[in-house]
Amino acid sequence: MSLPDRIDPRPPRRIYRWDLDKTYLQTEFDSFRDILRTAFQKAHEKQAVPGASALIRELSANGDSRLCIVSGSPRQMRSVLEEKLKLDGVVWDEFVLKDNVGNLMRGRFRALRGQVGYKLPAILESRALAPLEAEEVLFGDDAEADAFIYSLYADMVAGRVDERVLSQILSQAAVYPDEVERVHAAWKKISVADPVRRIFIHLDRLTPPAHFADYGPRVVPIFNYFQAALVLLADGHLTAPQVIKVAVEMVQTAGHNIITLSNSFQDLLRRGLPLQQAAAALVQALEGPNALLQALRPMPDIISAFTKRLAALGTEPAPPPARAVDYLAMLHHALPRTHKARKPPPA
Amino acid sequence: MAIKPVTIAFDVMGSDHGPAEVIRGAAQLSLESPHIHALLVGDRAVIDDVLATTRHSGERISVQHASGFIAMDEKPGEALARKTDASVSVAARLVAEGEADALVSAGNTGACVLACARHFQLLPGVRRAALAAVYPTRMRHGGKEDPFSLILDVGATVEATADDLVTFAVMGAAYARIISRNELPKVALLSNGTESTKGPRHVVEAHAKISGLPGMQFLGNVEGVDIPKGTADVVVTDGFVGNVCLKMLEGVHETVFELAQYAHKESLRWRAGLAMLAGGIQRIKDITDWEQYGGAPVLGFDRIFIKAHGRSHARAIANAGKIAAKAAANELGKSIQQGLAR
Repeated sequence: MSLPDRIDPRPPRRIYRWDLDKTYLQTEFDSFRDILRTAFQKAHEKQAVPGASALIRELSANGDSRLCIVSGSPRQMRSVLEEKLKLDGVVWDEFVLKDNVGNLMRGRFRALRGQVGYKLPAILESRALAPLEAEEVLFGDDAEADAFIYSLYADMVAGRVDERVLSQILSQAAVYPDEVERVHAAWKKISVADPVRRIFIHLDRLTPPAHFADYGPRVVPIFNYFQAALVLLADGHLTAPQVIKVAVEMVQTAGHNIITLSNSFQDLLRRGLPLQQAAAALVQALEGPNALLQALRPMPDIISAFTKRLAALGTEPAPPPARAVDYLAMLHHALPRTHKARKPPPA
Repeated sequence: MAIKPVTIAFDVMGSDHGPAEVIRGAAQLSLESPHIHALLVGDRAVIDDVLATTRHSGERISVQHASGFIAMDEKPGEALARKTDASVSVAARLVAEGEADALVSAGNTGACVLACARHFQLLPGVRRAALAAVYPTRMRHGGKEDPFSLILDVGATVEATADDLVTFAVMGAAYARIISRNELPKVALLSNGTESTKGPRHVVEAHAKISGLPGMQFLGNVEGVDIPKGTADVVVTDGFVGNVCLKMLEGVHETVFELAQYAHKESLRWRAGLAMLAGGIQRIKDITDWEQYGGAPVLGFDRIFIKAHGRSHARAIANAGKIAAKAAANELGKSIQQGLAR
């Protein structure tokens, strides 16, 4: 038996940060009844968003990444949530849950609904411990303020946000002073780099994609995780066979079919994501021997559906232009969804 | 059992309200009916702009770019010949090629029917296609208690023969069976008297032929007064008479509401009276709200085409899509063929 050439864990090349509710789990918490039901659900009763566990498994299969989960679920749910993740074959490196009981006991009612004061320090503290060169991909949803918090985090780490803007944001988001202190303390420890490659927003509430346009092309709203897998294929995080595995899980567990998958693919193309090469790689992978897919659907149908959706568009779309994010203009995005100052997304 | 997915091609261009209403209608459909997929045919840039700001399910919508469209005031034949990439033409071709199961358009009726005629085949036994229309009636119809009846033809075949009228009766009955869940729809011929001998020769001849059709609940002749009453579930006539009737019904409807508006302005007493009748007036408006029915079919082709009203808003377009999906899922064409074979 040969000895490994190193005994300390290899530093991660990539960090994947996930939210849990509505991003990984199909959770309802729109009413008090929903919250109660969610609190008492057993691990096997919880449903993952189709394709999410397959995507996480494929991303970690590359062996050089970390999975960091920061969820707004209460700490009391840790055991059931961990059991659910284990049932799905998901292995995590960090798992942070919100101290809702603590907040309640201390009368910090704003912290119960507020996300900025909870998530921003948590991910900044995590980043402070990460290697400088580790790039990141973040996953959130459209139910709360994920797009805002993740973009702000990315721009803070990259040195594109100044103290004045940050102070205004934290003040408007009604963040408690100790949380403000944590944000500043963690931020100071982070060396300036530009690690965040993508921010995926799962459109659980089917918010129109244009709602996120002001965050620029780094934020990609997705209707499902096949779309995330396609973008990650184009970005070099996944291979075409890995994308196919995500699609297979969605077909087998959630009733997706060749129409929903090819429509999802075309939807991204129409939004200007440069997926032409990824599509070619996918078609090539589909043409090879793949017993799982052969059993699922005849190969020519799949290839033809993707090719047709590609051809239907005529000229290649221009990618959306990169832009600086005006956080002060979008401060209402940082507020909880039920806050009166939060503007609703377009109908 | 999982419902079979159905794809509906929407010609998004050429309606009175522009493409946005049709796109919003398809977006609404993508949220309401998980088994229906919308294939939007038209100017891609316009479609993408509207979709980006509208709640929809991206998994259930795809787009086919078409650079041209036929306006309402264009001559159908000439325009279709000149604009080979017109959205209605491209959409009809996609349906013919099996890319979609049915077509919905709120555009130029003539161009729609002509595009269908060019890309679809007439069903065996059908000599002329018929444009049907739904109209509000006093009586309810079928298992769904629809407040609408079907009248056909309303303009596709101006001069129909007796055999054409028989075909229309079979097609209208098949449509009512599927869409209104009306197992044995009451079918009638429109004439100037209820007696079997009344009317022009082709109507008298058709009366005799339809009477002998097995499996048909034929009421015989009805008069114009029976149309709004809803005596029959399906009223059969030729395109010329049908079109005149339909326009007159629309005119009466508009006039009634104009008179109510006039009364509202004219005197305080009348206004008070109208206020007391508000509930009833709203009920009439609901009953005669054609948007809840979405559109009407062109019958006789081997593919399904639902013509939505040119003034359709998103809700009417979504409903037209649902009707098209229902007709496709229940194989309307096969049902008509079975009726004709009897």
